[in-house]
This record gives sequence, C-alpha cells and structure tokens, in this order.
Amino acid sequence: MIPADLTVALPEIALAVFAMAALMFGAFAGKDRVAAPILWATVAALLIAALLVAFGPAGTRTAFGGMFIDDAFARFAKVVVLIAAAAVLAMGQDYMARRRLLRFEFPVLVTLSVVGMMMMVSAGDLMALYMGLELQSLALYVLASLRRDSLKSTEAGLKYFVLGALASGLLLYGASLSYGYSGTTLFSGIFAAVESDGISLGLLFGLAFMIAGLAFKVSAVPFHMWTPDVYEGAPTPVTAFFATAPKAAALALFARLGFDAFGAAVGEWTQIVAFLAVASMFLGAIAAIGQRDIKRLMAYSSITHMGFALVGLSAGTATGVQAMLVYIAIYVTMNIGVFAFILSMARDGEPVTDIASLNMYSRREPAKALAMMVLLFSLAGVPPLVGFFGKFYVLWAAVEAGLGWLAVAGVIASVIGAFYYLRIVYYMYFGEEGDALDRAMPAAQWGLLMASAVIMVAGVVNLFGIEGFADAAAQTLVR
Amino acid sequence: MSPALIAALPFLGALLPGLMIRAGRDASALVTGAATLLALIGLLTHLPAVMRGEVVTAQFTWLPALGLNASFFIDGLGMLFAGLILGIGLLIILYARYYISAQDPMGQFYTYLLLFQGAMVGIVLSDNILLLLIFWELTSLSSFLLIGYWKHLPEGRQGARMALAVTGMGGLALIGGMLILGEIAGSYELTVILENREAIQSSDLYMPALLLILLGAFTKSAQFPFHFWLPHAMAAPTPVSAYLHSATMVKAGLFLMARLWPVLSGTEAWFYIVATTGLVTMVIGALIALFKDDLKALLAFSTVSHLGLITMLLGFGTPMAAVAAVFHIINHASFKAALFMTAGIVDHEAHTRDIKRLGGLRRLMPVTFAIATITALSMAGIPFLNGFLSKEMMLEEASHTVWAGSHWAVPALATLGALLSVAYSFRYIVHVFLGPERDDYPHHPHDPGFGMWAGPALLAALVIVIGVAPWLVEPLVRSFAGAVTAGDLPDFHLKLWHGVTPALYMSGIAVLGGAALLLAHGGLARLWQAAPRPEAKTIFDTVVDSAARAARAFTDALHDGAISRYLAIFTVAAVAVAGISFLGGSFAAGGRALLAVEIIPAIGWLLLVVATLTIVAVHRRRLLALVLMGVVGVMISLGFVYISAPDLALTQLTVEVVTVILLLLALNFLPKETPRESGAAIRLRDGVIASVVGLGAAALIYAIMTRDVSSISQFHLAQSYYGGGGTNVVNVILVDFRGFDTFGEIIVLGIAALSIFALTEALLGGPVSRRLVNWRYDMARAGDRHPLMLVVATRALLPIALVVGVFIFLRGHNQPGGGFIAGLVVAIAFVMQYMASGFAWAQARQNFHYHATIALGVLIAALTGLGAWFNGRPFLTSDFGYITIPPLNEFEWATAIAFDVGVFLTVVGSVMLALASLSRIARRAGETVNLEPMDVDPSKPGGRSERQER
Repeated sequence: MIPADLTVALPEIALAVFAMAALMFGAFAGKDRVAAPILWATVAALLIAALLVAFGPAGTRTAFGGMFIDDAFARFAKVVVLIAAAAVLAMGQDYMARRRLLRFEFPVLVTLSVVGMMMMVSAGDLMALYMGLELQSLALYVLASLRRDSLKSTEAGLKYFVLGALASGLLLYGASLSYGYSGTTLFSGIFAAVESDGISLGLLFGLAFMIAGLAFKVSAVPFHMWTPDVYEGAPTPVTAFFATAPKAAALALFARLGFDAFGAAVGEWTQIVAFLAVASMFLGAIAAIGQRDIKRLMAYSSITHMGFALVGLSAGTATGVQAMLVYIAIYVTMNIGVFAFILSMARDGEPVTDIASLNMYSRREPAKALAMMVLLFSLAGVPPLVGFFGKFYVLWAAVEAGLGWLAVAGVIASVIGAFYYLRIVYYMYFGEEGDALDRAMPAAQWGLLMASAVIMVAGVVNLFGIEGFADAAAQTLVR
Repeated sequence: MSPALIAALPFLGALLPGLMIRAGRDASALVTGAATLLALIGLLTHLPAVMRGEVVTAQFTWLPALGLNASFFIDGLGMLFAGLILGIGLLIILYARYYISAQDPMGQFYTYLLLFQGAMVGIVLSDNILLLLIFWELTSLSSFLLIGYWKHLPEGRQGARMALAVTGMGGLALIGGMLILGEIAGSYELTVILENREAIQSSDLYMPALLLILLGAFTKSAQFPFHFWLPHAMAAPTPVSAYLHSATMVKAGLFLMARLWPVLSGTEAWFYIVATTGLVTMVIGALIALFKDDLKALLAFSTVSHLGLITMLLGFGTPMAAVAAVFHIINHASFKAALFMTAGIVDHEAHTRDIKRLGGLRRLMPVTFAIATITALSMAGIPFLNGFLSKEMMLEEASHTVWAGSHWAVPALATLGALLSVAYSFRYIVHVFLGPERDDYPHHPHDPGFGMWAGPALLAALVIVIGVAPWLVEPLVRSFAGAVTAGDLPDFHLKLWHGVTPALYMSGIAVLGGAALLLAHGGLARLWQAAPRPEAKTIFDTVVDSAARAARAFTDALHDGAISRYLAIFTVAAVAVAGISFLGGSFAAGGRALLAVEIIPAIGWLLLVVATLTIVAVHRRRLLALVLMGVVGVMISLGFVYISAPDLALTQLTVEVVTVILLLLALNFLPKETPRESGAAIRLRDGVIASVVGLGAAALIYAIMTRDVSSISQFHLAQSYYGGGGTNVVNVILVDFRGFDTFGEIIVLGIAALSIFALTEALLGGPVSRRLVNWRYDMARAGDRHPLMLVVATRALLPIALVVGVFIFLRGHNQPGGGFIAGLVVAIAFVMQYMASGFAWAQARQNFHYHATIALGVLIAALTGLGAWFNGRPFLTSDFGYITIPPLNEFEWATAIAFDVGVFLTVVGSVMLALASLSRIARRAGETVNLEPMDVDPSKPGGRSERQER
C-alpha cells in the first residue's frame, strides 16, 4: 500500500525532500552565500515538478485511503501554482540580492509553501486539507516578515499571523463540526452523508465556518483585511508570490471542498460564495481608487479578482469551475507580468512603489510601457485582451446558472475597477514630467514582463487551449 | 470579397505605413489609402446583393465554448456604416497627408488610423455580439492612441483621459448588457438575436440589458449627460477629430441602437430613455455650440447636438423615424466631415481656431469659403442641400410625437434645437468668413493646396447632389433603413417638397429665429459668459476627484492598520456567516434530557465564571490576571475530575502548574500593567462582539450536547484492550490509536522550546540586551530569595516526586497517567529545585543537556514507530505481550511504553530548556547567582551566605 501511495504523491514528496535538502545544504554550506544557487535550483525543481505533474499519468488516482487525490483538477491547479512560484522566484532574485534580503531560507520557504499548496489542491480529507493549508500558511507567515529589520514587514507578518491563526481556528472548528455530524473526515464520506440524509444544521455550520476560514486565504471580503498591509509591508517578490500561487491554491481548495465534500448541497454554499464574490469585487474596486502605492493597489486589485473568480465558483456548475480555473490561470499570468514590472521600479537603486513615479514613463521606455499598458488593460478586462476572456467566462457561467444579478454586479464592479488601471496607463502616457525611474531591468524580469504581455495579446487566438484543460479538470470535480 | 477579409484588411494594412515611411510620406499615405480603397471596393462588390435585400455572411469558429465566433455579415446597415467609414477614411487619409507636419511621425499616425478603421469596420460587420464587443473596445484603445497623438499638448492629455474613462467604462457596461441579451436569446449571433424580439422584451432581464447597452451606446455617442468628453477630445489633430468625432466613432453608439432597434425598441422604457436623452442632448449641445469661440469646439458641440437628433429619432421607435435617422446619418457624415476639414484648413492656414481672431477670410480663402458655406448651410437645414431633407423628416416626426401626454413638448423642443442649429451654422459662416478683412491674423492665410481641399470639396458636392436630387439615394436609404427596421418599412419618398406641413412651419421658424439669434449674438454671448452654468469638465473632474476622495476616506476608515479593527470585522463576519447558515437550516431543539444541577459543581461553575469575568475586568494588571488564570485552570481540572476524566484532570493540572510558573518568570521582565489603548466606545464594541461570539459558541455547544450524537467512544473502548493492550483508553489513544498525532505534538513541543531558546539568543544579542543590563525591578524584592523552608521542603519532595513520576509513567497504559503527565510531574519537581536555590546552583547539580534530551525523546519515539516497519506493519503500529518474571506477577510490555519514554523525555527537556532560557535573561538583567543553596543557612557561622556572583 505504501509504495503505491508514495507514487501518487511523488511530486510533492520529491519537492519536500528537495526543500529539506536545500535547507541542510544552506545551513551547512555557507548560509546566505549559497542563496542564489539554491534559488535557481529551486526554480529548476519547481519547473521539473510542474512537468512531472503535467505529463504524469492521466486519470484519477487516490492514495492514503482517499486522503490524497490526484486528478485532472488537482493537476491543473498544481501546474499553475508551480509555474507561478518558479516565475516569482526567478524574477525576485535580483531584487532580493540587491537589498541584501536574499537569505537561503527564501527559496526553501517558498518550496515548502508550494508543497503545502499542492497538498491542499489534492486534499481528499479534512485532515489532509488542514495539513496542506497550515504548511502553506506557516511558510507564508515567515515569508511575510522576511524583512526583519523593517517595521512594516514585521508588523505585516504579525498581523497576518494573528488573523491567520484565527482563520485556521475557525476552519478547524468547522472541520470538527463537519466530522461530528457526518462521522467521517473523508470528503467522499461527507458527500455520501449529505447525499443520503441531506445537510444537517451541524454540517451547515461546519461548512459555513470552513468557508470563512478559506475566504481568509483567498482574501475575500470581509476576511480580506490583512491583504493590503501584507502586500505593502512584505518585500515585493514575496508580495508577488502572495498575489499568485497561494491564491490559485486556495481557490482550488475552495472548489475542492465545495464539490468533493459538499457537492450534494451545492445550493447551500453558493449563496455565501456569491455574497463573498460581490463584496470582494466591489470593495476591491472602490478601495483601489484612492491608492497611491502600487503594491497596495495590487492588493485591492487581487481582492477584486478573487471576487470574480468566486463568481465562477458560485455558479455551482462544471462550467463555473471551468471558468474559475481559466480565470485563475489568466489572473496569475497577468500578475506575474505586472509584478515583474513593479520589481524593476527603482530610482537610484532604491525601490519605488509610488504610482506617480510612472509619470511619462512611455517616453523613456516605450516597449516596457506598452507591455504594461497591455497588462493593465487586460487586468481591467478590456477586450480583446485575454483578461477579458477570463472575466467573460465567469460572468457567462454566472448568467448560465441563473445568477444574472451577479453578472450585472460583476460588470458594474469591473467598470469601477477599470478606473484605477486606466489611471496608471494615463500616468504612463500622459502624466507630468517627473524624476525618471532607473532604466535597468534584469533579464528575468524583462522576459517575464514581455512574455506575460505577449500572452495577453496572442492568447486571444485560442487561449492556448487552456479552456480544454480547465474543462477536463472541472468535469472530474463536478459530478 | 469575404466580409471577414474586409474587416481584416485595415488591420493587415496597419503593418505597412510604419514600414513604408522609410520610403517617404507619400508612400506611406499611398499604402494606407490603398488598403482602405481595397476594402472599400471589396465592400461595394456586395452592394447589388445588399440592395436586393440579401445578407452576405462569413463565419469562422473561434472559442465555440464561449459562444464566440468570428462571424461577419453585411446587410444594409452594415453596408451603410462600413461605406461611410471606409469612404470618409479615404478622404481623411488624403487630407492628413497634407495636414500632418513634417516633425510628427506620420507612419505611426497612419498605423493608428488604420487600426481604428479596422476596429470600426469590425463593429459594423460583426455578426457575433462578442466579436462586436471586442472591436468596440478596440476602437476605444486605438482612439486613445490617436487622441493622444499630440502628446505635448496638455489638453490632448486631458481629452484622452476623459475620452478613455467615459467610453471605456461604457464599453464594459455594454459587455454586461450584451451578455444578458445573448443569454435571453440563447445565442450570441446577431442574426439569431434579431429574430427574438418577443422573448427579449418579455424577459425580466430586459431592463438591465437595455440600461447597460444604452449606457455603452450613450457614452460612445456622447449623449447627455456623457456629452462632455467629446469636445475635449477635439484637442487631437484635426484629421482625427474629423474622422473619429464626427464621422465614425461617435456613430458607433448610434449604429448599435440602430442594429438592435428591431429587438429593443417599441417599449415605453426605450421611448422615454432614448428619445428624451436624444432630445435633451440635441438642445443642450446646440446651445453650447452657439457660444463656443473655438471653431472645433463649436463643431464638436454641433456634432453632439446632431447625434442627439439621431438618437431621438431612433428613440421614437416608429419605422418612419428610423428612415429619417438613417438618412440623417448619411447627411450628417457628409457635411460634418467636410466642415471639420475646413476648420482644420483655417487652423492650418491662419494658425488659430479662435473665432474672435478670425473673420473676413472670404476673399483670402475663396475655395474654403465656398465649401464651408455649402456644408454649413446644409447643417442649418437650408433647402436644396441634404441637411434640409432629413431635418424636415425629423421635424415631421417630432410634430406628432406625444411625450408623457404632452403634444407640444417634443415639437417645441425640436424646433428650438433646429433654431439653435441654424444660429451656430450661420455663425460659422458669418463670423469666420464674412465681415471685414483683418490684418492681425497670427499667420496670413490663403487657400491650401488641392490635396487638402479635395476631400471636403467632394463631400460638398455630395451635399448638393443629394439635396437637389434626393431620389438618387432613395433606393440606398430604403435598403439601409430596411435593415434597421427588419424589413418593416413604410411607403415613403425622399423629395424636396412635401407641401405646406407643420414641419415646414417649424423649419421656417427655425431659420428666421436662428438668423435673429445670430444678430443678437454679441449681447447674448456676454450674458452667457456672465451667467453661471455648469461646466461639464469641471463637474467631471469634481465627480472623479470626490469619488476618489470618498473611496480613499472609506478605505482609510476601513483599513486603519489597527489589528483590533481587523479582528472585529473578521469576527463579526464569522458570526454573520454562522447566523446565515442557522437561518438557512431548520433548527429543532435537542431531545436529550438535561442532568440535574448539583450543589458542588454549581459552586465550581460559579467560581469559574466569576474568575473569568474578573480576569476580563482586571486583565491590565497582569500578575493578578495570571493568578486568576490559575484559578480557572484548577477549576477546569476539577471539572474533569467531576466528569470522570482523571487523565485530562492530571494533564490539565500539571500543564497549569508549569505554564503559570513559566509565565510568572517571564512576567518578571515585562511591564506589570497592560497600557490602555482603546477608548470606551471601542471597548464597548469589542465587549458586545465578544459576548455575541461567546454566547454563540455556548449555544452551539448546548445544541450539540442536548442531542444524541453518534460517538466513536464505543469503538475506542472496545478496541483499547484488544487492539492496544491497555485499559486506559486515553493513554492508548495517545500512544497508539493517534500515536502519529502525539508524535507530531512532541516535535512541536520540542520546537517550541528550541524557539524560546533561539529567541532568547537573539534577544540577548540585540538592543534588548542593553535594556536588560540597565534593568530596574519595578516591584519590591523579597529579602530572602531562597528561603530555608522552601529549600528544605523541595529537597524532601524531590525523591517523592520522582517516584510519583515513575509510578504515573508506568501505570499509564492501564490506569490514569502516562508519559506526558509523568514528564510534567518530574519537570515540576526539577523546577521546584531551581526556584528554591536558584538556577545556577541547581543546574550545577543536575547537569544534563536539555537539547539532547529533547532530541533523544523525539528519536526514541521515532524509532519505536519505525520498529513497526521491520515487522511489516505501518508506521507506529504498536505491539504488546506479557512476560512473567518469576518473583513478580505477570508483567505487560508494549512498544507503546518506549514511545511514552520518548514523550516523557521531550516534555522534561522542553520545560527545562524554557526555564534555562528565562534564567539567562534574568542573569543579563543583573540577577546574581547563588553559590550556596540558600540565603540564610543556620548551619553556617554567621548564618548569611554572602557568596554571590554575577
């Protein structure tokens, strides 16, 4: 039984072993001096793991008595997570090194949290869910306060930790209620219990609390309060990481729990999710308007985007899940590009995050400004860029599921949200002359920025076939 | 030529000008024109078919899952607009070749222009509404580039921003509307949607769809109250203004309304929203235009006004009004594009567009004067020019339109609009070209070269031809309008003379009134300048600014950085979620009978509650709070005893002792008071929230405990002895059933101790060290730090405690006890020694390595677990057996014992490591170390031990 189980979880195990080996190597082979080699090795390891997952055996396999599920859905989410993590590491290396923040723990912690995320999306059991979630979160707590000598960073880490602990507690409370009322922690068991006896009040409470805990992880309103502070306080590469991989993993876990465990009572949780979606879309859009710091702005932007992704989920259908997955993949790609750019924003070597510093950027750096413009328009969901298809997919799923009002709310929110993206474009193209930003941009950042922008344009042809994969993934989840 | 190719040609062509600019400006203009001309020819090849009422289609699948297909079709309406776009585009390209100065990058300009042209053609030829949306937003993007082409002008920047903000957001609203429309109709193909009038108008979603679509259309076509962006976008180069802001882009909104006219129009909502908006826009636009001194601003507002006119006609919802609308679209495009070009010529030649600085250009620029006069008179609606015909039709329609029961409102306002239109048209002629010649033009003007006036001249010729011989275009108009009304056309003829109709009177009033108004213009303009009036741009800026300010205030209020607020919101949200799920389910009270309340437990419970409430009240005094926490802990331990859980009671008690001692020691170096940070209101808020949460949790527990829940206790009771070899179920669960958990827990415990150690290490190396060196104790110190009685008592207790520890450890598997409790008991016994005689003295006599102890504990536990593997069993499977050592009774051994040893060692090591860390802090703070076991030693001469060192 054991060898078979281990084979199913091979990518996770390999990565965990790699993380520990890297930790040992770092601790005994020169600490931060070997940080850069470890980081690049980690990038390679993550990409290899992504290949392993993507081209591994097809079909659905379970391990450890159903606690661990490897199916198309998990694989889709894992590939997104792994590639995002690799990209963020690669583009953050130069930034971290320049600011003397490149500790060897950085890549190790990222790897560990990625292992946690992979565990999350493969969870088939409440305990596996919690284990993955906590492994991810603990690594993230540390990452958030990586800049130990900065008041903002440590404060952000502490806030995130305290609120995160509360959220975890809530989730655990919900999990134990679910266990108590269904008699099992296996998702399939809970599904069967709900299917045969209907959803009891106790299970309903359990479900509600678990949703609250997960909502914290995806930073859905009103559990989003940590997001702007952490985004602002954490070092930018860490912020970039926060904005991409964990979001994808948490959303996938959300869907996993919703359909695998409570798929027989979809109507019970879609209402809550729809509320979270609407609140997130609107609060994110409105709050971003007043922001002057681009990292804070991206925090609110990610809150809005999570709202949109949740719109897909709240449709409660296979199409909805497919839409959500497509949305996540697009969102992650856009954010990698935008953060690659933000990482390069510096004046005299010092990082700058003020939006006004982009004044007339297009005149000095036409290529980068154009790439940024494409990304920002795409984030705003302006056709024909790929970001539009993401938005369209989720709204379409909502309308098809009879949630016309949700789609209308989404449209209104995206109209409000467009304002602040366009404002950045406006600054870049028509602002007042100001102090110039540094022109230097490391190859990794430049490459990812351009790649992301090109994808946003070229993707309109067929979205690189991603919808097919997402469809297959959604079909395995929603039965 | 395939419709798809027609739409694609401008995009393909857009690659060329940038390349060809190396071969010169002419080459660049030539390829641009060639691409456009090719597309136009391709379009016109379909004209005969369209005139016969056929529809030409082309379809490619794109993202079928989304309903998105690259499908195009050409019907009358598409033909009309595509023809306008390409035809006027051709003239603009010619005009721009001479207009754009040598310093400006012409290749770039033509590229943007072709991109825009392609997007426009795409809009009007799309069959799929999603495709239409894509092209729609593409026009916003490319127009943004075109408007911002002259980046050095600040108005250009402002204009670009406003145009993008308004039309971009309108476009996003349109997405929503189209999405709903497609959903109602069940298809995103226009040809299908247009068949579904009944379904759409009876749907509940008709209103939202209508509003969102109209929002998109109104913003794009600069309808009131979104009319303000258009004049500001006019800072763009004149070819751009002429093309985008008169002939094409602003008509996209009209196109959309016309396209969806068959399915959306005819309802009351449509009439009141669309017709009213159009009417208001027509009058307001004309009024503002009359008082603008900038030539382009005048034309811009006149455009707004005419767009309003067409919107109003579409809003009437009658087929005849639709015919008038289509006819006016053609006429307006022809005269307005020409007017813009003449304005550009004036600007280009005289270097000013300010009417106040112009006048008397009649003789200096005769050709321009002629063109401008013809087209402006057409705009005024003077007979024998095309503007007259469509205006008459408009007035005719307006004259019998009833608005909210009023028969005169629409006719009167329409006449007023026409009157104002006459006034500003005349003004364009009179104030620019007539009057005395001046000698203070910024640049001495003369007629431009042929290339620049050829385009407008051609249009002016068209204006006259249509005006004199309208029957020439009648089949075209019939075919175009037929596409709007979906074939339901009234019998009509375009002709000059309709007899003496109400429209003729209205027209007459308008012309005379307009002329009179122009005569009084000087005085009125002064009045206008003096009168307070809302300036749309200021309003826009104010709205945007105040919205941004409001958003910022909202965000700052919400995210003020205080974690207490975050926690409050989080908690309230969690309670709300729970409340929602409570309301969502059906609640039935539990059926389990309650136990009787006995007096002793009741007192215990009361004590617990009082202690808890007191903690809340005095929690700022930390020492007191700690003591009370001890009380709570003891009461809980007693509670466990009461409900027959001796293991838990023992664990609780020992953990309580250890934590209170460690906390006391830590508190030594912390402030004894918690500062008060929040005001009364916030504390009240937090109190309410906390109470609600507490009561909610209590209610949940009550609900669970009052019903019979199936529990796994029976399973454990049944399996404990046979499966785990122990009769103490709790211990068997800990070391066997859930051995993995325990294994994890001891690791966590060890890590916690190591973290305390590491933190201390870090603290002592940092600035905290300085503070500790200068530490002043804030409480009076006892004279006798290591009292005799305590020393003696702990010494006597140590062996007993150790024996108790071993006893508890050994009986653990079958009786209450176990490695965890035993570890704590032993640790407490050790801690007592340290408390009594000081850390250094005690450590010197009990020297073992704490780190190693922890590691050993974890290792032993791990090896026990691994042992199972060698027997082919899963990790941590326990085994047990019985051996009899002769003099003793039968003795049970179980692998679980070894595991428990690991637990024991880890617990002892962890507690001691924490203690050692605290002691290091104390010593840094100036605490001295005893060399003797007690301060006062009666057995020594003098009694007092003075030997201390730091």
